[in-house]
Amino acid sequence: MSGAPVLEVEGLSVDIDVPAGKLHAVSDVSFCVRPGETLCLVGESGCGKTMTSLALMRLLPPRATLTARRMSFEGRDLARLSERDMARLRGDRLGMIFQDPMTSLNPVYRIGDQMEEVWLRHRGGARAAARKRAEFLLERVGIINPRQRLDQYPHQLSGGLRQRMMIAMMLMCEPALLIADEPTTALDVTVQVQILSLLRDLQQEFRMGLILITHNLGVVARMADEVAVMYAGRIVEQGTGREVFAAPTHPYTRGLLDCIPKHGQSAARGPLGSIPGIVPSLVGEMSGCSFRNRCALAHEACRRGEVALAQAGADHAYRCVLPPGQARGQAPAFAGGAA
Amino acid sequence: MSLAAINAPSADAAAESPVLELRNLTRVFSIGKRFLREGKPLRAVDGVSLSIPRGEVLAIVGESGCGKTTLSRMMLGLQQPTSGEIFVSGEPLADVDRKAFARRVQPVFQDPYSSLNPRKTIGQIIADPLHIHGVGAPADRLAAAQDMMERVGLARRLVHSYPSQLSGGQRQRVAIARALVMRPEILICDEPTSALDVSVQAQILNLLQTLRAELNLTYVFITHDLSVVEYMADHVAVMYLGRILETGPVREVLHAPRHPYTRALLDSILTPEPGLGLPRPDLGRGFPDPLDPPPGCRFHPRCPKAFAPCATLPPARVSEGDASVECHLYD
Repeated sequence: MSGAPVLEVEGLSVDIDVPAGKLHAVSDVSFCVRPGETLCLVGESGCGKTMTSLALMRLLPPRATLTARRMSFEGRDLARLSERDMARLRGDRLGMIFQDPMTSLNPVYRIGDQMEEVWLRHRGGARAAARKRAEFLLERVGIINPRQRLDQYPHQLSGGLRQRMMIAMMLMCEPALLIADEPTTALDVTVQVQILSLLRDLQQEFRMGLILITHNLGVVARMADEVAVMYAGRIVEQGTGREVFAAPTHPYTRGLLDCIPKHGQSAARGPLGSIPGIVPSLVGEMSGCSFRNRCALAHEACRRGEVALAQAGADHAYRCVLPPGQARGQAPAFAGGAA
Repeated sequence: MSLAAINAPSADAAAESPVLELRNLTRVFSIGKRFLREGKPLRAVDGVSLSIPRGEVLAIVGESGCGKTTLSRMMLGLQQPTSGEIFVSGEPLADVDRKAFARRVQPVFQDPYSSLNPRKTIGQIIADPLHIHGVGAPADRLAAAQDMMERVGLARRLVHSYPSQLSGGQRQRVAIARALVMRPEILICDEPTSALDVSVQAQILNLLQTLRAELNLTYVFITHDLSVVEYMADHVAVMYLGRILETGPVREVLHAPRHPYTRALLDSILTPEPGLGLPRPDLGRGFPDPLDPPPGCRFHPRCPKAFAPCATLPPARVSEGDASVECHLYD
């Protein structure tokens, strides 16, 4: 993909004040997104992927503090924008959709009104023009009879339709970057594929950068240009989708892939791979690798100091003290993954 | 009853008959019913027949709104069928005492956050079924609960903890322990892992497989995730708008699906293989209105292979061994 990055993040951290001290929800995260490109943030609950996206939108909870060396969006530093300028950006150049559209829509306003509001607020002008655009976009996201739908309320739509409508609403002002937090998790598999295809098509059409936050490695493998695997607030593996899935290197990434039942795998052939133990507490100072307590390859060196990102390939880095060959162990994690 | 009595394997007189059998089960809800006004009938489950041999895992898959949860509620005795019959080890459910039935069939629900009472301790939650059924002395009940905790991989010291102190995976283990403490024959698991992270899902699936072998359990596994089906189940039934469109051994159905709907579901699975891009399953958009199901084959408006009779004539069920399919391509 070409073009200057629409978003460049360097050294983003989010700390949350809790009674027991400081909770390091996100630690030193760096990535960039180019127009028309998809970055997938993947990890399990509590890994910091949602906090990262909220930090980008500057929608963090009040107890949270954001620090970043750089958070440049279309040449402006998101970390230093005033609240007023930030509000102008949200829903305009910077869009976000959530897992459950029902909670992010106002249940007592008609769909048309909510969509028009986005346009009127950022671009002003006549309501009729806003309505026309809303109708055009509903049709573009594959909603039949858009005119009738505009007069309906969110509860009258199915989950899949609501998510389409949410996407249409975010496209009202043609954002440069769309952040989608688990957009298909609440949907059926058949609908999931449709929504992902739609996102991908629209992204090409509008040359939008897309940050897709998900726990589903299947979604990541099929959607990502770039991948960042997060664990305990840090990126533990990062690179192009192709390289990361062809040669998953961090033991956590490999463990996650082993947890997914493969085609042809039945219980009769032995148990699924699993990652023993639980995520460590993120409160207080940490040293060493945060995955060491759950890692089969952990040894003495894993306790000491900060583990730096190391190169595993041309566009592929991982955060482990072992060299790539040893970190990967013997067999490839996913047999079908050879590039 | 004493604890020893329930721990002893029940002498199974009807070893031949399936542990659970559904015959032509139908459940109709009346939607929008008001005073002096008839509601519209919604056939949530429409003529479902299934039989589950002892020790097997039957998976029921389908999209939301297909009736799989209503079906599971009828299997749990939480909802009465409008017509049709359920047999437990050959005995009609209508003849089985409500409490005796609950001892044999237990549920595990999807959301371990809402299915556990937040004001009870883990020990109380797990021992509750023993308490309700008056099994054993109070002290024995707690001991039985702790034994069960160990079996499902929970530390005994958690017995006085509250659900809020536990992770999602631990809570689902509590739900499983509670379901198993009465030593039932059948577990009805409704999306037991869909609220969990993948690494935790793997732990729970492995645990369920171990317990099944140890305790000779029969599972009904309700899920929308076909990769879980392949790992867990022996048999699978694919449900759509209240009907079973295809059923059979997992190996056959998932490796050589016959119904176009099964094919489309399989095509929608996103395996973590790079470079494949997104599948484009051949499925018309839009799930039909269950209040106004399409005539003929219910799947025909979305079916890529629909032809003349599909729009008018409901397809007959074609059975072959323990596999069956409802599709005009095969009748």
